[in-house]
Amino acid sequence: MSDRIFSFVIWMSAAFVGAVFLWILGDILLKGIPHLSLSFLLEQPEDAGRSGGIFPVIVSTALILMVAVAVSVPFGLGVAVWLAEFSQTGRKAASSTRLTLDVLAGVPSIVYGLFGNAFFSIFLGLGFSIFSGGLTLACMILPVFIRTAEAGLSAVNHSWREGASALGMNKTSAIWHILLPSAAPAIVAGLILGIGRATAETAALIFTSGYVDRMPGSLMDSGRALAVHIYDLSMNVTGGDSAAYASALTLIAVIITFNMMAQAMTDQWLGKKVQRA
Amino acid sequence: MKIKLFLLITGFLTVFSVSSAIAEGSKLVLTGSSTVAPLALEIAKRFEKGNPGIRVDVQTGGSSRGINDARKGLADIGMVSRALKPEESDLTPYTVAMDGIGIIVHKSNPVQKLSDEQIISIYTGAVENWKEVGGTDSPITVVNKAEGRSTLELFLHHFSLKNSDIKADVVIGDNQQGIKTVSGNPGSIGYVSIGTAEYEERHGTPIRLLPMEGVPATVDNVRDGKFPLSRQLNLVVKGTPSPLANAFIDFAQSKDVHDLIEAQFFVPLESE
Repeated sequence: MSDRIFSFVIWMSAAFVGAVFLWILGDILLKGIPHLSLSFLLEQPEDAGRSGGIFPVIVSTALILMVAVAVSVPFGLGVAVWLAEFSQTGRKAASSTRLTLDVLAGVPSIVYGLFGNAFFSIFLGLGFSIFSGGLTLACMILPVFIRTAEAGLSAVNHSWREGASALGMNKTSAIWHILLPSAAPAIVAGLILGIGRATAETAALIFTSGYVDRMPGSLMDSGRALAVHIYDLSMNVTGGDSAAYASALTLIAVIITFNMMAQAMTDQWLGKKVQRA
Repeated sequence: MKIKLFLLITGFLTVFSVSSAIAEGSKLVLTGSSTVAPLALEIAKRFEKGNPGIRVDVQTGGSSRGINDARKGLADIGMVSRALKPEESDLTPYTVAMDGIGIIVHKSNPVQKLSDEQIISIYTGAVENWKEVGGTDSPITVVNKAEGRSTLELFLHHFSLKNSDIKADVVIGDNQQGIKTVSGNPGSIGYVSIGTAEYEERHGTPIRLLPMEGVPATVDNVRDGKFPLSRQLNLVVKGTPSPLANAFIDFAQSKDVHDLIEAQFFVPLESE
C-alpha cells in the first residue's frame, strides 16, 4: 500500500512539473502566435514596440550572448581545469575559490547589473553597450559554468589519468585529449544552464546593454535584449501585451536554438578529439 | 576547429568595434523614468530621422536615476515623471507632456460624482454596495491596477494608500484592459489614463469618467494642471543644455511630436 502511495506521489510530481511547463508554453503560444509573423521578426520596432518587429532586438540579444559565451567559455574552462586538476597542492586557494564561486552563483542578477553598470559602463568607460552587457553576463555565467565543468572533470574515473601518464602523456595532452572530452556532457550542461540564465536576464542588462532598440552598429552601441524588450512591453507600454507574448515566444525559440548549437558544436569539437585520441 | 572559431569571433569583434565611429558631439544620452522612456524613444527616432548623423540613446531606470545622471553628467538629459522637488532646483525641467488618471464607471451607473473619501472607502472595501454612495442597490466591483504600473503608483500616492490596503475584485494590466473590464461590468469602478478613457468614451464605449474634487476629468483640465490626479512628464538638464540637447528639447516640446505623445496615452501641453 505504502508502495502504491509512494509511486503515486512520484508520478504526480512528474505530472505536475510537466503540466506547469505545458501551461506556460501553451499560454505563450496561444497569446503569442497571433502577433507573430515573418515581418515581426524582420522589422524595426515602432510605436514603443506595439507595432513593427523585433529584428534589432534579436540581433542585440545574439551579440550580447556571443560576447558572454566567447569570454566565459575559455575563462571558465581554465578555472575548472585548475580546480579539478592543478589545485591539489594549493588546497586552501581551491576551497576559497569554490566558496567564492558558490556565493557568486547565488547572487541576484540585479547585483550583477549594478556591478556591471558601475564597473564596465562607468569605470571602464564602456558606457551602455553590448560589450558591457556581454561582459556582465559573462560574470554571471562563470560561477555556474565553472562549478558544473569542474564537477564533470572530477567525475572522470581516476584510472584514466593514471592510464594517460602510464602511456607517457604529459598533463596538457591528458587534459586536452582525455579529460575535457570525457567531461564534455557536463561542460555542455553548464554552458546551457549559463546561456539559459543569461538569455532570460533583464535586471543585469537593463543598466549595462541598455534600452535602445535601434539596430546596433557595433559592440560599443547600446542594444536592447529580448528579455528587456518583453519586460518593457508588458510592464511599461500600454497595449504592448500581444507584442510581449510574441517576443517571449521568440525568446524561447532563441534559447532552444542556442542550446542546440552549443550541443552540436561541443559534440563536433570534443567528439573528434575522442576519436583521434 | 577551435582556432578557426576563435579567429572568427575575434575578427567579428574587431570589425564591429572599428565601425563605431560616431563623433562625440553628435550623440545624446537620455536616462530616467521608465514611464517617459517609451515616449522619449519614439521622439528620439523621429528626431534622428530629421537630423541625419545624430544619435539619441534612451536608457531607462526610473525618475531618480534620471535626476542623478543629469546631475553627474552621465546623461545629457534626464527623464522625470513628476514635478521636481525643491531640493532638485539645480536642474531645469522642460515639461513635455502631462499624464492624468481618471476614475471610470459604467455608463449606466447613476452615480455622477464621488468624493475622495468615498473613493478610498470603496477601494479599501469599507463600502461594498453602490447604494451607500448614492447609486442603485448593487455590489461594487473594484478594478485595480497590477503591481508595477505607474498609474497604480500615482493613484496610491494621491489617496495616500498602500497597495495592500486595497481590496480589489479584479486586477488588470493596461488601460485598454481596464476600459474593457469596466464597460463589461455595470457594477464596476476603475481608474485609467484620461487620454485613453476620453477617446473610448467619445467612440461609444459604455464608460463614464467621474470628476474628482469637482474637476471634470478631461484632457484639457489635465493640460491646465487643474485636474488633481495628474503629473508632469519632464526632461531635466543641469545648467545650460548643449546646442544638441537644446534642439532635442525644443523638438520634444513642439507640435511635431503631439501624435507620438497621444499614441502613448499622454496629454500634449499646448492645444492643437
